[in-house]
Amino acid sequence: MDMNVSMVNGTNVITLNGRFDAFEAPPLIKWFEDNVTKEQADVVVDLGGVNFLDSAALASLVKGMKRCRERGGDLVICNLQQAVRIIFELTGLHKAFVIAETREAALSA
Amino acid sequence: MVYHNYEHWKTTPNTGEPFLSIVIPAYNEEIRIIPTIGAIASHVSDLGFPWELIIADDGSKDSTVKITQELGFVNMRVLIAEKNGGKGSAVRRGMLAARGKYVLFADADNSTPIEEVTKLIAKLDTEGFDVAVGSRAAEGASEGKKSLMRHILSGGLRTIVRYGLRIKVRDTQCGFKMYTREAARKLHTAQTIDGFSFDLEVLYLAFKLGYKVAEVPVSWIDAPGSKVNARKEVQRFVKDIFRILSNDLKGVYTQRLAADAHSDSVHVPA
Repeated sequence: MDMNVSMVNGTNVITLNGRFDAFEAPPLIKWFEDNVTKEQADVVVDLGGVNFLDSAALASLVKGMKRCRERGGDLVICNLQQAVRIIFELTGLHKAFVIAETREAALSA
Repeated sequence: MVYHNYEHWKTTPNTGEPFLSIVIPAYNEEIRIIPTIGAIASHVSDLGFPWELIIADDGSKDSTVKITQELGFVNMRVLIAEKNGGKGSAVRRGMLAARGKYVLFADADNSTPIEEVTKLIAKLDTEGFDVAVGSRAAEGASEGKKSLMRHILSGGLRTIVRYGLRIKVRDTQCGFKMYTREAARKLHTAQTIDGFSFDLEVLYLAFKLGYKVAEVPVSWIDAPGSKVNARKEVQRFVKDIFRILSNDLKGVYTQRLAADAHSDSVHVPA
């Protein structure tokens, strides 16, 4: 899986591509731990390039979301492919996250 | 991708014979199985044919049965086992319960991405094969994140199988295989092995019975959380090779197939 981070209008945007599973979750968790602060607590995760994610990947996003919210911000996910959207629905996590259709919508959420 | 196709599949029962049945054997898969079901339901619902999903539980002690039943998909069945009988027993129950023209079994961790299914369908539906074996060893296949132990294990086993059983398939163990329903019924009725090497036996029988078998390169990812104990399974695998040869010499397979041919109902060994 590829993971790229960019700064867009003062918000960190993480772009993920490929299969997102337990092999890929630890670096993402570490990124949240290292970079989410009270001063920089909003994060957008663009999953447009992700075609499958497993429970470890979902757990890493939940951890990231909690860290953002604890510091006064939020984690918004966007650009979900259909399979990923369905996985969020089947696990009930679509109710826990703010999910935006596009990156632009996520940045203005 | 059309979300409506998925919604239709999960709420509208199939009428008549499904084109495809997908069997997922599951033992204590509460962590991994829901994302796999989601990926399969999303992709296959878009392929434009009626299909069913069968979760063949293998006596799970966790909440695998509960969480899959709670999904409430009308075209998904959960086959419950009272006790753990081995992956082979779960696959057999699923394959014999399948109603589809073609039957795929796929592992619960989506280690072979479901997008590869169309390659196997083409072999059976267009090229006339009876069995299509997803292969990590065929030319064009790709293996991601394969551990050293997996390399040693698979290389050694391939050599043993090639010379011991003369199976003309390089990768017998990939958990992604498709059969015509008739082939699935015969092969899994004759199957005696309930453990890890059941598909070795099934492929041995496929060649013995003269089925046309295609080896199809697929991508495969060594998904975390594998339940394979390499050393233990190699020992059992070698033992099972002798068991298969012994069964054949004793006429065990001939007897099972003859019994099935004279039976109106499908016999599922305990």
